[in-house]
Amino acid sequence: METMTNTTKENQLIQSLKSSYSSPVAKTFMRIQNESAARLNDLTFPNSRVEYWKYTRTGQIANKMWAFSTQKEAEIPENLPVSKYRMVFVNGYFNQEKSILPEIEGLSIRPFSESSLDQKIAQGDDDIFKALNTAMPQDGYIIHLIRDVIVEDPIQMVFLYEGNLTIVQPRSFVKLESGSGLKVSEFHIHANGSRVFANIHSEVSVHNNAHYKIDIVQQGSEHGFHLHETFGEQDKNCTYSQNTFTLSGNWTRNNSTIRLTGEHSECNINGFYIPNLKEHIDNHTIIDHEKPNCESNELYRGVLIDKSTGVFNGKVFVRQDAQKTNAFQSNGNIIFSDTATMNSKPELEIYADDVKCSHGSTTGQLDDEAIFYLMARGLSRESARKLLINAFAEDVLEKLVNENLRPIIEETINTKLA
Amino acid sequence: MLNIKNLCASVEDKQILKGLTLDVKPGEVHAIMGPNGSGKSTLASVLAGNEDFEVTEGSVNFLGEDLLDMEADERSHAGVFLAFQYPVEIPGVSNINFLKTAINEKREALGQDPISAKDFLQRVKEKASLVELDNKLTNRSVNEGFSGGEKKRNEIFQMAMLEPKLSILDETDSGLDIDALRIVANGVNKLRSKDRSFIVVTHYQRLLDYIVPDFVHVLYDGKIVKTGTKELALELEEKGYDWIKKEADAVAV
Repeated sequence: METMTNTTKENQLIQSLKSSYSSPVAKTFMRIQNESAARLNDLTFPNSRVEYWKYTRTGQIANKMWAFSTQKEAEIPENLPVSKYRMVFVNGYFNQEKSILPEIEGLSIRPFSESSLDQKIAQGDDDIFKALNTAMPQDGYIIHLIRDVIVEDPIQMVFLYEGNLTIVQPRSFVKLESGSGLKVSEFHIHANGSRVFANIHSEVSVHNNAHYKIDIVQQGSEHGFHLHETFGEQDKNCTYSQNTFTLSGNWTRNNSTIRLTGEHSECNINGFYIPNLKEHIDNHTIIDHEKPNCESNELYRGVLIDKSTGVFNGKVFVRQDAQKTNAFQSNGNIIFSDTATMNSKPELEIYADDVKCSHGSTTGQLDDEAIFYLMARGLSRESARKLLINAFAEDVLEKLVNENLRPIIEETINTKLA
Repeated sequence: MLNIKNLCASVEDKQILKGLTLDVKPGEVHAIMGPNGSGKSTLASVLAGNEDFEVTEGSVNFLGEDLLDMEADERSHAGVFLAFQYPVEIPGVSNINFLKTAINEKREALGQDPISAKDFLQRVKEKASLVELDNKLTNRSVNEGFSGGEKKRNEIFQMAMLEPKLSILDETDSGLDIDALRIVANGVNKLRSKDRSFIVVTHYQRLLDYIVPDFVHVLYDGKIVKTGTKELALELEEKGYDWIKKEADAVAV
């Protein structure tokens, strides 16, 4: 038996990862770490016969011998917006020198390896990517806000990825106690020419009356892979807002799962993506209404250029108990070329009878009539397109928590359309 | 200013214009009338550079240049303006931002510096009052949620902002009540000058009570079959188009 399992590609990869893994882990995390490590032996990479992975291939990840890097230094890109507070992570290692940590009473903010907070809320590691991260986690951030502490300025989290056949597994956890408030701006930047598999896992627990808002900007590379798993759990009367902007990247998969476990809470998750060349972007979302009187809003918009492919899968559960739920979901796509592809699948499962739920998915081309109208007024074809695409993106951009992120996003849009 | 010779154009392989000839001199107002399907709107679209229409024969010279050789934006820069019959709604694009971009792209094409914010706002204020366009509308998304009358007034407002040499009004009167019609016509009249020409495409004589043309042309089956003065419009109003059709068909046979 032993010899058989040892020959699978999963086992070879795990051996390679184990031998290069050297990140410290807090004692409080070791139990779940060991559980996941044990489970890894039985897990395999999903193929396209698995519905959850139907349109996104994992073979390109599975067939490479990834290893952890020892490189802990990298340059911060110049066009990054200035920020009062900043944490910098290079290849999964916290970089103290480049970071500016807030010193606020009631706020504990540490890199993963230095925190002893009990840090796990997500259920089940039947997914190989989750199990990999949990078995060999690296630095993300651990934030704990105690009662009624509100941090006004957004905290910028900069994740830099650099290397060849390098795996990086940031692990982050945020716990917001009652009445607290936090804003986060995350940047995930793969260096040009690098070949990194970033397997990111973030968990957020928002308690009664607390408010959590995050913007995530993803800039991948031509050969990189980027998987971002987010798990949020909401108590009553609280807000969870997340905006994800996927600006580039060969292969990007975002899984966002939010559980509404208390009444009168609000969940907003939005995204914008603009892949070109052969880039692939997949957004999977699950919003689980478990309790009554909650509201969820989802707006994902994409512009697909060249031979790029996009996937949107938005699942909304409304449990039997979740009466008076308001759930809105919308996915809109503009296909910019004859060779781009979009797969969009809204899924609503409703078990309560007194609810308001709506979903819509549209995929189409840029309106020729509108382009002619603008050109007849003197705009060049390129300006007309940019104006229309920017207007299309604006519906997501206007939801930005941190307006300082706007220029970097708009710049990418305009560069990709030129 | 504008010389159209033997213009033939088709859409989706259907021939619409079949040898249209027309001369427009600076300062003149030409009305193009005709029954439904005669090619009036096609003429307007072809002149503005709509690529849905294919020019199969003929030439169009505008101020000494080959108009058909230009893209829609270049025609606009050269001084051609089309007021659309059905102005397009563009959600998320503000009227003001778009006009500023339009003006500056034209200025760039002509080798001029961008318009200053102050001059631009001054011009907006002045021209919006010309068509009694509410300040709020100028700041809203282009035509989004505008009433029919507001859309047409917005067209004339944009025309005033861009200061074209040749304006083509494509059934600007359609769907307007008498008050809106008067406002739109007043706006146009205020823009009339000895260097500025207009082609007014219309189905009804009504608009021509307010915008008095120098010439009235009747378009039928893709050609101009009759040309007269404003009295011709009155005659058409009274007698309809059938007599023109008969005359034209008789000649064709």
